[in-house]
Amino acid sequence: MWRFAIQNLISRPVRSLLALAGLSVAITGMVGLFSVAEGINRMVSETFSRIPGLAIMQAGAPLPLFSRMPAAWGDEIESMPGVRVVNPEVWTRVNVMMGERVIAPPRFLFGTGIAAREKLKADVYRDAMVEGRFLNASDRGQLHAVISRQIAEDHDVGVGEELAVNGDPLEIVGIYHCGQLMLDVSIILDIDVVRRLNRFDRQSVCAFYVEPDGTVEDQVLVNKIRERFRGREVKTSEGIPGVLATGHPLIDLLLAIQNWLSARGDPLTSPPVHNDPEAEPIEVRTASDWGERFKEFSADLNLFLSVMTGIGVVIAVLSIINTMLMSVTERIVEFGILKANGWNRRDVMLLITCESAVLGVTGGIIGCLLGLAGTSIVNSTWPDRLQLYASPSLLIFSFFFSTFLGISGGLYPATWAMKLSPMEAIRRG
Amino acid sequence: MSACTPLIRIKDVAREFTLGTTTVQALRGVTADVARGSFQFVLGPSGSGKSTLLYLLGALDQPSRGSIEVDGRQIEKMTLSEKDQFRRNEVGFIFQSFNLLGNLTALDNVLVPFLPVGVKPGLRRQAEELLDRVGLDNRKRHRPHELSGGEQQRVAIARALLKQPQLVLADEPTGELDHSTGGEVIGCLRNLNTDHGTTVVLVTHDESYIESGDQVLRLRDGKIVDQQQA
Repeated sequence: MWRFAIQNLISRPVRSLLALAGLSVAITGMVGLFSVAEGINRMVSETFSRIPGLAIMQAGAPLPLFSRMPAAWGDEIESMPGVRVVNPEVWTRVNVMMGERVIAPPRFLFGTGIAAREKLKADVYRDAMVEGRFLNASDRGQLHAVISRQIAEDHDVGVGEELAVNGDPLEIVGIYHCGQLMLDVSIILDIDVVRRLNRFDRQSVCAFYVEPDGTVEDQVLVNKIRERFRGREVKTSEGIPGVLATGHPLIDLLLAIQNWLSARGDPLTSPPVHNDPEAEPIEVRTASDWGERFKEFSADLNLFLSVMTGIGVVIAVLSIINTMLMSVTERIVEFGILKANGWNRRDVMLLITCESAVLGVTGGIIGCLLGLAGTSIVNSTWPDRLQLYASPSLLIFSFFFSTFLGISGGLYPATWAMKLSPMEAIRRG
Repeated sequence: MSACTPLIRIKDVAREFTLGTTTVQALRGVTADVARGSFQFVLGPSGSGKSTLLYLLGALDQPSRGSIEVDGRQIEKMTLSEKDQFRRNEVGFIFQSFNLLGNLTALDNVLVPFLPVGVKPGLRRQAEELLDRVGLDNRKRHRPHELSGGEQQRVAIARALLKQPQLVLADEPTGELDHSTGGEVIGCLRNLNTDHGTTVVLVTHDESYIESGDQVLRLRDGKIVDQQQA
């Protein structure tokens, strides 16, 4: 039966190829679109797996860039049992680098407390140095920067050379390479230098990175920190600088989708300052919390991508139905002959379903291969902008989905052919 | 069933078709018997109802009135599934325009009735032997477009016979062949009828072949006008 079905498809090559093309394109699109979401998930999980501590930000801020907190809270946190080191962080966006506007990929000035950073047992940047050295006490107050290999290659600069950022000449003292899109965007400087360059409130920070000492469970420590700051107000002397978008297409897309679908309000607007004694001014998150939070983002993204994929899928199914219906209409006499020779209704239906299933399976294989090739090409062409990932499970799902589409697309024509009277079919010939 | 019992009993069979607002009476009360193991010709001009009668005998159609009994079973009372079984196991069809499947070889065309249930090696050997018997031993791997009309019809005969049916229904099998090739096809069918006792009902409008048959049934305007020994 299968051999016969394949021969039937081969005997009508143009029609079969067109149906195959329709299905393959839809599956390729599906693999491509969902590889965006999977790429983000993978990137996020890999990134956070390298940051084992706690991150503390202003409540409601989606990224450190949008967060503001009093710097003095860091000392309070450090005095709590279970805390080993608290590293204050200031994040601002780079607008101009080496005289060129920076839009995508985004670059950030990451101001870090050097003294605190030196105490960290695990430092994602320090541990990823590939050239030169990481910041030390001699860099305090200096325009000394550690940059990613990606930034160094983009601007053809190296250790000891100068990198002009927002008009300020930074001397490169070291180069790191994390291999993560979300991490390799940072230009690391002394926190006070970043504050000075950006006229950032000296009493404020964007976030704290907390390295626990291991004597208290992470979740217990999270609860204690939250409890300690409950009911306090976030007082900063400045508003959040005008950063309506990060400039990173993936992050901006996530933000936009989160706003649009979740209707959780504008995350760029800080939560209102309040006097509610139960209100929590900060969010304390472990790496797994961040992972969960991004899962929410990616769930929304998946919904959005499903809608887009759905359009392609509908076109593919219509294409298969059309192909099989035309094929059935052309072969009415053939079905009459088959029935005259003892084929029953089920056999005829099975034959057509086999043909459409072959289209589905072949379309699935081609679509998955094209999708995989497409993601590889995109990743290698724009390594610092996109990280797509077509996981084995996505490919397997796409393959079976294509097979399902093929079979379901052939069902209506098969049912139609099944019901044909054999005599009527033969007489038409 | 005894050998003298007719294989087919046709009783007052009528078949009407509705074409738009017009009703066409293809058969108007046909009654006849076909003896078991006989070679029966059905003669008549175009539109006389020959093919309609053949399709009714093969359970491809349902009479509007009357009954058809084949080997003791009434066709009009069969379920769809029983009709499928009947066609698969007991009847072989041969059509005027051969009706072979263009993308299959001669051998695969012969095996078509058994594709859904699977073709076992023994059956394939039988199909090859049948093609040998109808003189196509060197044409088994050829596709229909590579065969002459006579060869195609012989493939169709082999296809009809593979299931070793007790009844072969042939609808103008010589209609698209020259007289000499047509004679060969009739001869081929006659030999199989003689050798295996297969009952053959052959529809034609060419009277020159009727000497090969046992009985002749003449139809005109949906009625039997003559029934005689050949």
